[in-house]
Amino acid sequence: MVHLLSYIVFIPLIAAVLVLLTPRAYKHLYRVLTILGLGLTLILIIFAISGFDTAVQGAINSESNLQLVEKTEWFSISLGSMGKFSVDYFVGTDGLNIGMLLLAGIVLLIGAIASWNIKDKQKAYFGLYLLLSSSILGCFVALDFFLFYLFFEFMLLPMYFLIGIWGGPRKEYAALKFFLYTLVGSILILIVMIGLYNSVYDPVKTAIEAGYEANQVEQVQQLVQDGTIKSNQIVKSFNMIHMADADNYIPGSFLHKSSLAQIFGQPARWIAFLALLIGFAIKLPAVPFHTWLPDAHVEAPTPISVVLAGILLKVGGYGLIRTAFVMFPDSAYHYSWLIGFFGMFAIIYGALNALAQKDLKKLIAYSSVSHMGFVLMGLAAMTVEGISGAIYQMYSHGLISAMLFLIAGVIYDRTHDRMIENYGGLASKMPKYTVFVAIAFFASLGLPGFSGFIAELMVLIGSFKSSAVPAWMPIVATTGLVLAAGYYLWTMQRMFFGKFWVKDKNWVESLTDLNPREYLMLVPLVILIFAFGLYPSLLLDLINNSVESLADHLFQFRK
Amino acid sequence: MLISQLQHTGLEEKLASTSQDIWVLLPEITIVITIVLLIVFDLIFKKNKSIGLSVIAFVGLAYCFALTIQQWHEIEASKSLMSGLLDINRLSIFLKGGFIIGLSIALITAIRSDKRQEDFFKSSEILVMLFGLLLGASFMTMSSNLLMIYISIEVVSICSYILTGLTKGKKKAEAAIKYLIYGAVASAIMLYGMSWLYGFTGTLNLTDQSFASALNEIPQLPLSIACIMVMGGFLFKLGAFPLHIWSPDVYEATPTPIVAVFSVLPKLAALTIILKFVNLVNVPSIDWELWIGILAIASMTVGNFSALWQKDIKRMLAYSSIAHAGFLLVGILAFSSSGNQAMLFYGSIYLIMNFAAFFLVQTFERQTGSTSFESIKGLGIKIPFISSLILIVMISLTGLPPTAGFNSKLYIFSALWESYQTGGHSILIWVFVIGLLNTVIALFYYLKLPYLLFFKKPPQELQLDNKEITDGLLGTLFVLPLLLLFFRSDWLVGLMNSINFELWIP
Repeated sequence: MVHLLSYIVFIPLIAAVLVLLTPRAYKHLYRVLTILGLGLTLILIIFAISGFDTAVQGAINSESNLQLVEKTEWFSISLGSMGKFSVDYFVGTDGLNIGMLLLAGIVLLIGAIASWNIKDKQKAYFGLYLLLSSSILGCFVALDFFLFYLFFEFMLLPMYFLIGIWGGPRKEYAALKFFLYTLVGSILILIVMIGLYNSVYDPVKTAIEAGYEANQVEQVQQLVQDGTIKSNQIVKSFNMIHMADADNYIPGSFLHKSSLAQIFGQPARWIAFLALLIGFAIKLPAVPFHTWLPDAHVEAPTPISVVLAGILLKVGGYGLIRTAFVMFPDSAYHYSWLIGFFGMFAIIYGALNALAQKDLKKLIAYSSVSHMGFVLMGLAAMTVEGISGAIYQMYSHGLISAMLFLIAGVIYDRTHDRMIENYGGLASKMPKYTVFVAIAFFASLGLPGFSGFIAELMVLIGSFKSSAVPAWMPIVATTGLVLAAGYYLWTMQRMFFGKFWVKDKNWVESLTDLNPREYLMLVPLVILIFAFGLYPSLLLDLINNSVESLADHLFQFRK
Repeated sequence: MLISQLQHTGLEEKLASTSQDIWVLLPEITIVITIVLLIVFDLIFKKNKSIGLSVIAFVGLAYCFALTIQQWHEIEASKSLMSGLLDINRLSIFLKGGFIIGLSIALITAIRSDKRQEDFFKSSEILVMLFGLLLGASFMTMSSNLLMIYISIEVVSICSYILTGLTKGKKKAEAAIKYLIYGAVASAIMLYGMSWLYGFTGTLNLTDQSFASALNEIPQLPLSIACIMVMGGFLFKLGAFPLHIWSPDVYEATPTPIVAVFSVLPKLAALTIILKFVNLVNVPSIDWELWIGILAIASMTVGNFSALWQKDIKRMLAYSSIAHAGFLLVGILAFSSSGNQAMLFYGSIYLIMNFAAFFLVQTFERQTGSTSFESIKGLGIKIPFISSLILIVMISLTGLPPTAGFNSKLYIFSALWESYQTGGHSILIWVFVIGLLNTVIALFYYLKLPYLLFFKKPPQELQLDNKEITDGLLGTLFVLPLLLLFFRSDWLVGLMNSINFELWIP
């Protein structure tokens, strides 16, 4: 199917337009349209995955590695003596983003189902939700930095309104904090983007501009490096794949591999890598840039929490791999100890914080911080196992955290209270709910058989084996698993076991067991969590070739 | 005998070429004729003048615009007029076209402003002054002679003082006096600085060869003092740090359509003069990069931080315009043709954003009678369409995608990076980082508008007039270019590619 990825990205947008055009008299159609749109998107994503050729092998910095590519020139601007630059509409998939795409499709649809009960300002809500969906999907498939940045930034605005209008008591504060924190990150990314596109040229377009054939790429690269092709014939590029190839850097530019340029007394490439690292670490979020996350989660309505934890955080991890690691492998190796340390620190710090929380949603939010630490640690290891583990962790955490927030939403819907201490012995009153809570908690703490176990195991194995991080880091990180077991089991014990007790007598009536809509959301997630826990090759086969070539790409810079 | 004397000195030739040059000034002559017509019409008719006056004004603007387009096609290289007093090129023609569009939007805003409509079109004073301002701004973009620069700046300034003081009210009188005093002092200092430059070089003409050669022989200290004094006057018109203090009071006190004109026309015209000045007075003894870099950083930061605390939308936009003056200076700072082009792109987008912003603020003002932040609480639910438009404008002012505000920031900072990469001053990287991080501060206050519009509940029942649809249509017309130029910014850049900026770069 041609333009498959474009359909995936723009169907939610079309649905958003339809929602906006539907008159208020038919407002019951808004949520139907949303679910239909996202359902169709998910079907197309599954279609894309079924056609995904796992045998395709290619370097991470070559377009031969990509599938379902769509590439057309969006606009190009002439800069006179400085040549010109071009922006492409360039989307495609490889192992790095195919899993994320599937995750986004699943979680967005579940979020839409969870939004069924939104009564207030439905038109705006579903319109914004669909806009958000479109930009998330776009962000995962965009391979042109300009396009990526467009989608990346455009996620903020719908999210700001979704938290700020439909959120809890301190929604305005949380929404603004979310927006400002992530904007600082985006600005750091923008700074690097400007530096990168001024340093990178498109060899194919430069060849055409300078009068060569489009297939004489290597020759053109040689001519640019020795200065035969002058700067006024160079076509600068936002292409993220070209940015990963050291041969595509304009000689004399700051981010050239052998550049001696320094910014603030440090090599320019190191500074650029750090800026990207911090930019995406805010989104991930990594300690100490995580403080927006608990606020945003606590105030956001349930479906938005699901989307936030399930996918938005993964955009941070994905962006880190796609830009920082792929484009600056040398700097990544230089800073691997730092990334590993922050990963380890986040694991422990997030877990300790989770232990101290009284609010169920805050506990889950801090457990997210802790689990995202594994992503950093796996990436820092720079081995095949580590990187696969990191991607697997993103995927698995996307499913598990979506389920955890749905569970928190179930209890909040009934009593409008999430304090752990206000409940006791819920198991006798809501047995089926308790089963699902137990599954989600055990999955999250990394019990074998669930997807989280595979991910964390791979990360730990990968970083033990790695020479990029010292062995004590994964050892310390392992204690995070124990702490996770601690806070989950303790919560389980406090809320669900023992004699039935709730703080407010009026709640007893409203505490009914799960309804069909909740089953509809939770059961598929449970199945998926089990499936990916028992058959990790479901995902690993898809990502394996890309991860291997990424590891090779990183390996060449290791001493 | 007299004639033979004239022939001897070549004056006749000069006169002949001057009378030829008159035809190039046809757009400016049109403005003058429009002014005369407005006054005459005002004198002849006694009642119901508003329709006649607005017809004259719009026809004048339309004809002037047509002439400007014609000029754009005729003039490709730079052309010296009036024996070096003026210097017309595509940059000035482009800006003149922009100014005419801006003034038209301002007049439309005025027409939409309900009861103030009577103030505007009741008699010709305000219109005459606005056209006078347009005339001055047009000459500012063309002047390349110190005397001409001074005169055109004064034309703009005097019109601005009168416009500030023309409408009634105590606040206005205070603002007008403040403006006048600051302005007069700035002009006097600038004139004094110009007299130094004239004394050093013996010529008033900036493009003259003797001017450039004489500059190199001046010692550093007196030349720096002269340049600082002259730049003072320019920065006053640009509204950049440290000569920005007048703008918030003036903005708050003046009717919204006039503020829209104040915030764009004199600013962009002053920017072209600064561009010319720093590139023509480019001697090693003055470190322009350092000075302009500091000015840019200070303008952005001071403007943005001050805007945070404002309680009035117009005051907030005043401080935001100070911050934008800083961003516009970044284009000059790059000292490259791509930097100047990015500056012009930024300027054009800034023109659209600001006029659109003031138009939309005006529609709220008409509904609520106030421009305080308090007054717009919860209006987003009542007038969702206009509120969404204002959201887009605010996003564009912040500089986020998918609006052209993002492209303008991207291009201007790309040009800066390029200059830094090719061995620029170390201040450039600081401007680069601090400038972009300023976006975060800017977001904080720009977001206040949508925040109050959508997140708050309206305090009491508010009677709305049902003119939303016209406002919405006009607003869409002004906001649409901001979205369109994000997706196809090459259209505008393509137009600018034919402007030769190399002229100013020795």
